[in-house]
Amino acid sequence: MSSRAAFVEPIVAWRLWHVRRHDDLYRLESFTWHHVSWPARARFEAECSTHGAAAPVEGHECGIYAFKTRELAEDLLRRYTGVRQHYGRPYQELPPLRQGCPIAIGRVSLWGRVLARENGFRAQYAYPYDLFLIGGEDVLARELRRLYAVDVWPS
Amino acid sequence: MDIGAPETEHEIEIAPLEEPVPSPAPAEEPAQEPVPA
Repeated sequence: MSSRAAFVEPIVAWRLWHVRRHDDLYRLESFTWHHVSWPARARFEAECSTHGAAAPVEGHECGIYAFKTRELAEDLLRRYTGVRQHYGRPYQELPPLRQGCPIAIGRVSLWGRVLARENGFRAQYAYPYDLFLIGGEDVLARELRRLYAVDVWPS
Repeated sequence: MDIGAPETEHEIEIAPLEEPVPSPAPAEEPAQEPVPA
């Protein structure tokens, strides 16, 4: 059984997204779950095939994941791309991504029921806080900024 | 994603006074034709 702490300020953590086109609009997609799209201007809600809307549940692996630091999110990106370098400001190197498959690294607000571990969180609700595009140009940054209404920095 | 060992997990309840979600985009008003005097 866990003790529960209560707060009124969202947690701000770090995560990765794929940026993919759906119909006429680009959308943020979950990095590890294919074709799970994050809605614009509405919270993203955790869902679990076992526990439904009760996610995240203790002893399970459901919920919206995020890391405590940017470095931990970059580590995942390095494992994904197989290269060792930093991305986003002030670093300008681009990873060898597939053409037309940009990635976003950024901060995310987490709230509702949140389960915290050493390196990160599993949350019930989330919304992007700001984004750094990797493999995306100014026009894509503008589109995501307009759609999600958050700061977006092109690579 | 490797967020650490499950046995170290502890629960936090966060109820923000206002959810950190931007408002819906305002509907664009149609451009009005100039009305002759």
